[in-house]
Amino acid sequence: MKRILHTILTLLVFTVPVKAQDIPNPMSPPRLVNDFARILSPYEQKALEQKLRAYNDSTSTQIYVVTVKNLNGYEPSDFAFRLGEKWGIGQKGKNNGIVILIKPKIGNDRGRAFIATGYGMEEVIPDAVARRIVDNEMIPYFRGNRYYKGINAAVDVIIDLAAGLYTADEYYSGESPLAGIIFLIFFFGIIFLSASRGNRLQGGSIGRNLPFWLLISSMGGGRGSSFGHFSSGSGNFGGFRGGGGGSFGGGGAGGSW
Amino acid sequence: MNISKKWIVAGIVILLFIIIYSSIKGTYNNMVKKDEGVKAQWGNVETAYQRRLDLIPNLVSTVKGYANFEQQTLTQVIEARAKATSVNINADKLDEQSLKQFQSAQGELSGALSRLLVTIERYPDLKANQNFLDLQAQLEGTENRIAVERRKFNELVQSYNSYIRQFPKNIWASLFGFEKKGYFEAEAGAEMAPKVDFSN
Repeated sequence: MKRILHTILTLLVFTVPVKAQDIPNPMSPPRLVNDFARILSPYEQKALEQKLRAYNDSTSTQIYVVTVKNLNGYEPSDFAFRLGEKWGIGQKGKNNGIVILIKPKIGNDRGRAFIATGYGMEEVIPDAVARRIVDNEMIPYFRGNRYYKGINAAVDVIIDLAAGLYTADEYYSGESPLAGIIFLIFFFGIIFLSASRGNRLQGGSIGRNLPFWLLISSMGGGRGSSFGHFSSGSGNFGGFRGGGGGSFGGGGAGGSW
Repeated sequence: MNISKKWIVAGIVILLFIIIYSSIKGTYNNMVKKDEGVKAQWGNVETAYQRRLDLIPNLVSTVKGYANFEQQTLTQVIEARAKATSVNINADKLDEQSLKQFQSAQGELSGALSRLLVTIERYPDLKANQNFLDLQAQLEGTENRIAVERRKFNELVQSYNSYIRQFPKNIWASLFGFEKKGYFEAEAGAEMAPKVDFSN
């Protein structure tokens, strides 16, 4: 009897207030990049936000990037799960939310990073893969305080995995990044060659196409950034409503540096 | 006059009956809902523990491959696993007694596993093995899942228990046989409690 009372009391005294106070509320207006620790520049935030927002809009999968200065005594894993649950990251029923939690290295205090996967993402990104993403994509950059690079690399891998571009096993074997690089070199090589040859042989007929192609891409970029300016100017990130009620069950992995 | 008085009395009785009936009905249905919620969550708790049980043979075979790895810690893990596998409790009977039994069997396994992981610290080449690192991440993942599902279970049980113990619901609860359910208690060492960090 005493023990039950004790348990109930502990639950009441510890879990309730702790839960209410120590896990921060989402920033307002709702956004996917919540940089409480201020380790990203406004430009970097905007770039990440746009990438994640576009991904959310097309797949409804919500990848949140959350940085904090202090974990308030929680383990990074516990902090990420509670935050994901509290914010309702991912869609209800699908539970397709991901939290990328980063506590930067401050002085002698170790940096910690954790990728928490909602119930619905556990299959796509198993724990062992989450660990590899943290160890291989994020921490090498984080050691040099290049937080944006690391987060961006991790987000790219997660999006590719979720899209099925390659499977967890392929990412595992570590062949894909290399294959991707080779592909890129090949791709740009062909463009470069055809452009220069086109200029020489066909009197610039492809050369005329190339500026057009560049024009489109620069138009896209220009539109993107002006849109970003517009939305930050109005103080509203355009229609994002925050978490969709997703739930977290302890999937994911992390690391420290 | 006499007749209308009778009607008033009858009306009050009927009204009282309706009020009591709807209160019981609401209470009863809520109890059923909360009870089912706890049972469903118990399923998640069991799944999380099962996940750990399934992972252990993998871990054992990976570690075994290393020459002269201490056999004793491995045997302890295998034995604790066998014991934990044998303890199953019925979702209809989640009282304190059976929960404690379940927790002690699983706790033994947790202890054996953490001793194994401590032992592994002494094998640097094993620790550098990618295969083992993946296993370790998976093992940590199962422990995290267990912690999360247990926390959710406790929250639901707390809501259920405090519901059925309030007056006057406790009367209907005892009448319809809704019993108090047990909690998971923090393990020795209380990893569940937030630690205060003074370093910043």
